[in-house]
Amino acid sequence: MTAPGAPSPGLARRAHPLTGLSAAIAVTALAFLVPTPWGPLILYGGCVVLVAICGVGRAIRQGVIVCLPLWIFLFLLHGLLGGGPTRSLGPLTLSADGTMAALVQAGRFGAIITASLGFYHAFDPSRFLNAVAARGWPMHFSYLFVATLHALPAFLDRAGASIEAQRTRGLRYRGGVLARARAVVPLALPLILGALAEVDERAHALEMRAVAVGGKRTPLDPPADTLADRTIRWSLLFLVLLALVGRLTSWPM
Amino acid sequence: MADVTFDAVSFRYAASTTDVLNGVSLDFRAGEITWLFGPLGAGCTTVLLVAAGLAPRHTGGTLVGAVSLLGRDPQTTDSAGAGQIGFVTATPELQLSGIAATVWEEVAFTPANLGWPIERIRSATDRALRLLGVEHLAHREPRTLSGGELQRTVIASMAVLQPRVWLLDEPASSLDQSGRVRTYQLFRAEADAGATVILASEDADALATVADRVVVLNEGRPVLDGAPGVVLAGEPIWDRGPGSTSVAGLARAAGKLVASPLLAAPYPITVAEGIARWR
Repeated sequence: MTAPGAPSPGLARRAHPLTGLSAAIAVTALAFLVPTPWGPLILYGGCVVLVAICGVGRAIRQGVIVCLPLWIFLFLLHGLLGGGPTRSLGPLTLSADGTMAALVQAGRFGAIITASLGFYHAFDPSRFLNAVAARGWPMHFSYLFVATLHALPAFLDRAGASIEAQRTRGLRYRGGVLARARAVVPLALPLILGALAEVDERAHALEMRAVAVGGKRTPLDPPADTLADRTIRWSLLFLVLLALVGRLTSWPM
Repeated sequence: MADVTFDAVSFRYAASTTDVLNGVSLDFRAGEITWLFGPLGAGCTTVLLVAAGLAPRHTGGTLVGAVSLLGRDPQTTDSAGAGQIGFVTATPELQLSGIAATVWEEVAFTPANLGWPIERIRSATDRALRLLGVEHLAHREPRTLSGGELQRTVIASMAVLQPRVWLLDEPASSLDQSGRVRTYQLFRAEADAGATVILASEDADALATVADRVVVLNEGRPVLDGAPGVVLAGEPIWDRGPGSTSVAGLARAAGKLVASPLLAAPYPITVAEGIARWR
């Protein structure tokens, strides 16, 4: 996985950081508010087009990889085991209602995962913190958010090193399910224990570096918040509110 | 005047059945480098954690006695020392902010958190980078630095504050010889400018000529306290402490083989002293 902050040229990278975050949150909300059955599928399609246009197209492929097991599970659960009228598809007999329910859920997950991954790939921790600081918002939440995203690649690097270290000591982690299951503990335990052992020292360092101090943080290089950015964010909010009203009044669930 | 005082301080970690510090009474004075020296488990690191107010507030455990840091009890408020303490440990990778995209931002992280005006942040950050000789790394991502570069970056991220008190735990453990010399020179200059420097380290060869005072700890108690030239040259540090410099060790070992007043205590502690005596 690429680190946040890695070069990802395109609109998403140039946009104000809060615009990307707003888009990811709006998609998550819309996924559950737009009318079914076609709303979530159209939303997913829209997300795919949008992340491609914004220069973070790798989110599409990664989204499919992440969602695929879930889609298969949904299809088996709803399509094959669902009730109501059935349709034949080759040798399979599918529940029409169940298949449609599976498609709705698949569209929702696809849209949310793709939008989130798009946001992740366009994410620049430094710009985000500067944007938050420029607004005078408290640092604690944004620090947790940013540090977690930033820690992910480092954690994956360390997992890779841990796997190599255990492999050189003779651990066999490839092969059947049993061999993989046996390898989980010697692979995961050093990683988790190592991370836990570091917590104290990290906490000491962060306190000494004034993370816990209240008050306004100085933005080092605040990103420009253009009229286009602000228009997009207000439009997203309007869309979510519109969908909410529609959902509460008349749209099918 | 003492910036940091310990008055009959005892400390025990939550998971321990014995005290790590046993009735420690020490004054750490402004303008001095005090070097804490002791074998593993002697309590040197714990003195720094208690002085910073991190133990027991963060670590858990029981503290008895009184500690004063710049006239305040460091236990009373969160982040009491932020901005006034330069705290550096032997594991620089754990001291990174975790969010800075460049070394420059890493160094500017704490001043930004403290809400300094941007112009002050810029000048202080550039100065700290120059001081540690890492200005050429300003645009590098911290994760890509070598151990030595990382350690100098972390020290720069504290030097940017021009702290009144430095609490240093093996601050040069990842540095090469020239990096160590440069770093110790920085701490010397800070002390000369009026800062209180408390430094825990095993690096006897380097600190013998840098520190103003050495406090030898053993089993949580100060057992020797004085000028390095006196403490390190004597025999007691071999009986009650972790040993001395390489040159003193050589003189002592040779003295056991050949009875000669040239090889008797007080031992020479530096190469220059050894040459002067044995020429």
